[in-house]
Amino acid sequence: MCQHGDLLVRRLILLTEPRFSKLFEAVASDIATISPETTVERRDLHIRDAWDFEQVFDALFELTRNLGLDPEAEDVLVHMTTGSHVAQICLFLLTETRHFPARLLQTGPPRQGSDEPGTWQIIDLDLSRFDKIAQRFAQQHQQGQSLLKSGIATRSRAFNELITQVETVAPASTAPILLTGPTGAGKSQLARRIHELKQQRHQLAGPFVEVNCATLRGDHAQSALFGHKRGAFTGALQDRAGLLRTANGGMLFLDEIGELGGDEQAMLLRALEEKRFLPLGSDREVDSDFQLVAGTNKDLGEAVAAGRFREDLLARINLWTFRLPGLQARSEDIEPNVDHELERWSAQVGRRVHFNVPARQRYLAFATSAAAAWRGNFRDLNASITRLCTLAPGGRITEALVDAEIARLTADWQREPTTTGGATEDDEVLRAVIGDDRVAALDRFDRVQLAEVLRTCRRHRSLSAAGRELFAVSRNNRASTNDADRLRKYLLRFGVDPAIALGP
Amino acid sequence: MLTIDGAEGEGGGQVLRTALGLSLVTGKPFLIERIRARRSKPGLQRQHLTAVLAAAEVGGARTEGAELGSQRLFFRPSRLRAGQYRFAIGTAGSTTLVLQTVLPALLMAEGPSTVVIEGGTHNPMAPPFEFVEQAFAPLLHRMGAGLQLTLRRHGFYPAGGGEIVAAIAPAAWQPLEPPERSERPQLRGRILLSDIPHHVAEREASVLRRELGLGADEVQVQPVRAAGPGNVVMLRLQLGTVTEVVTALGERGVAAEDVAGRVVAEARALLAADVPIGEHLADQLLIPLALAGSGSFTTVAPSQHTRTNAQVIEQFLPVRFALQEHSGRPGVWCITVMAAR
Repeated sequence: MCQHGDLLVRRLILLTEPRFSKLFEAVASDIATISPETTVERRDLHIRDAWDFEQVFDALFELTRNLGLDPEAEDVLVHMTTGSHVAQICLFLLTETRHFPARLLQTGPPRQGSDEPGTWQIIDLDLSRFDKIAQRFAQQHQQGQSLLKSGIATRSRAFNELITQVETVAPASTAPILLTGPTGAGKSQLARRIHELKQQRHQLAGPFVEVNCATLRGDHAQSALFGHKRGAFTGALQDRAGLLRTANGGMLFLDEIGELGGDEQAMLLRALEEKRFLPLGSDREVDSDFQLVAGTNKDLGEAVAAGRFREDLLARINLWTFRLPGLQARSEDIEPNVDHELERWSAQVGRRVHFNVPARQRYLAFATSAAAAWRGNFRDLNASITRLCTLAPGGRITEALVDAEIARLTADWQREPTTTGGATEDDEVLRAVIGDDRVAALDRFDRVQLAEVLRTCRRHRSLSAAGRELFAVSRNNRASTNDADRLRKYLLRFGVDPAIALGP
Repeated sequence: MLTIDGAEGEGGGQVLRTALGLSLVTGKPFLIERIRARRSKPGLQRQHLTAVLAAAEVGGARTEGAELGSQRLFFRPSRLRAGQYRFAIGTAGSTTLVLQTVLPALLMAEGPSTVVIEGGTHNPMAPPFEFVEQAFAPLLHRMGAGLQLTLRRHGFYPAGGGEIVAAIAPAAWQPLEPPERSERPQLRGRILLSDIPHHVAEREASVLRRELGLGADEVQVQPVRAAGPGNVVMLRLQLGTVTEVVTALGERGVAAEDVAGRVVAEARALLAADVPIGEHLADQLLIPLALAGSGSFTTVAPSQHTRTNAQVIEQFLPVRFALQEHSGRPGVWCITVMAAR
């Protein structure tokens, strides 16, 4: 190590044992001769058996804590060619986990009969530095991301970034994952894919177990989740393992976790922290180690504030939170998802269906427009494509069919109260002036325009001033202007009193 | 500023050492690029780095790029200082090469110096101690410069551990009288041995005696103590007003007879060439000759090493070298140094 013309060791920390003092002295004196630039420091380790993994690891781990290496000031190398195999393995592990902030140094003996000092090489465990290995990793990431997207070539940047994060976090962490986003945004689908990814990478062997907490009520809820002993309550005729136990070694997806009852929340928290829990009517705890993925479309922070959700449980599951955008926020992804739904229907039914060209254009134009609210997100899209496919004469989706479907979707989304997705800014302005009922009766066309007009009015004290701003372009082309009158008529059409609309 | 291409010509450590030595003498800063660029391990190796740091110490120099593996070095000396120095070279690097680096400067310094150097004393690809002591130093004396050498410990590759001391007196330069060759050269053999079976030396000695017609007491075997094994076969040739030293190092896997055979072959070539100065000594003489300002000697055809060395010297000092083959005597070359116009 110290004989190479192209490797200069400034400080050598030699690990030894008290009984090898003579050997140490000989080595140190040889190094002083051949490498006067090197200072040798002795560190005695107390290892009784160099082949005992626990002892060696413990001794070396202890060393990592008190060596005081400064990788900023020194280029640190860990020489792992000497020592027992166990010591080499421990050195490797401690370097790989950055307990030694170092690169590995490997040396080889000289060719037989040669006076040369042999070979040396430095191995950097930051594998991303190696092009070929980096390529393999990139490929693996790509495959993982594609899997998470169910093979759909999504184009939405925000969504793709989210998937990249999930693909980084999921294989690297066993901590709970929280998926938020509106209903139908694909939380359950994504959870299933994360499970598949972790299975593929040999990180989870157990099953995927899914339950919607909104369906769990009363005794039934506890027994479904945590199991029960026979006779625990009326009707408990047999032992039941419960979902947490079934998910042992696998993944438990709790959708709408905000709906979970208080007792169940407390028991779940304990199960997450201790990896054990008490089944109903049992006096013996059972073990279960599972990865939790939770889904919610509610603001759990709000639920905590309202006392409906435990703060400590939220803290426990809120480590990795991914917010899935709704379909309307992912209009670029509608086309690939339409194709995916078509494929899926075809595969299920065994009959190929496709759009004719103008029908496809018309459908996509509507689907990606602002008029398409996609309140139920992927659930809506799935239902829409299923209807089109089922009704398609001779496997072809025609323009007439598309028109009928558009009318149906529009009607569906109108019927639903606007509050589902949370109030928009426009709605707030409108409600303040004309009230909930009349807002609901407005076309979107009018809603947007009226909201903007009302916002402008609020900034002015007179109709003339507001009118000047609103008609700023067209008033230049007219001989006589009466902006105030024009604006008053517009407001009255919607039953708005101009005096209320104006600002103070 | 002087920029030197380190890969030009011989392209090894010699270019660097000559540049360092003459930068110290002249005070001229220089930039050397592509240091050992075409070698299998390019850039500064540890022994070169030691030479750079030694030169920097002697001349109070500022350096940039004085790092292992560096192929680019900037060197700006400030003040040359005579005195006591001690340099230790790792990897059993050659002590004589480090001496060669700082010697020109200390010969030009204001007072006497003592330099202790630790490392190898008998290295491959470097002048062995006895060559510097017996062949080079006496010529330096004749040119008005003082160099006294003592070997304290032998050091052989790869273990090293040797130590030499050089006492250097400032020079009052005078031109070198062209050395002359005598009719009857005197030969003496000497074999060094450390931690190697004695019969190896006996076999080498018998080759020298047989092939060169030497008497029993004209070849000495000298066991020495060193940090590791070593074996050197040396032949001292008293060629008239000049002493030459031819050496070969024992090597693992090379028969004793072949090691001695190399010395015999080189000695015969030198004797047949009918010149007083051999290839290696010619190489060493260029810098003192240039510092003295004039002089000439006859030698064998100059090597690439010598030609490159002459070119680097011409970049630092106001001199010009003429390397000419004798018109009437093929294979005999005359090297002359003169003031540049």
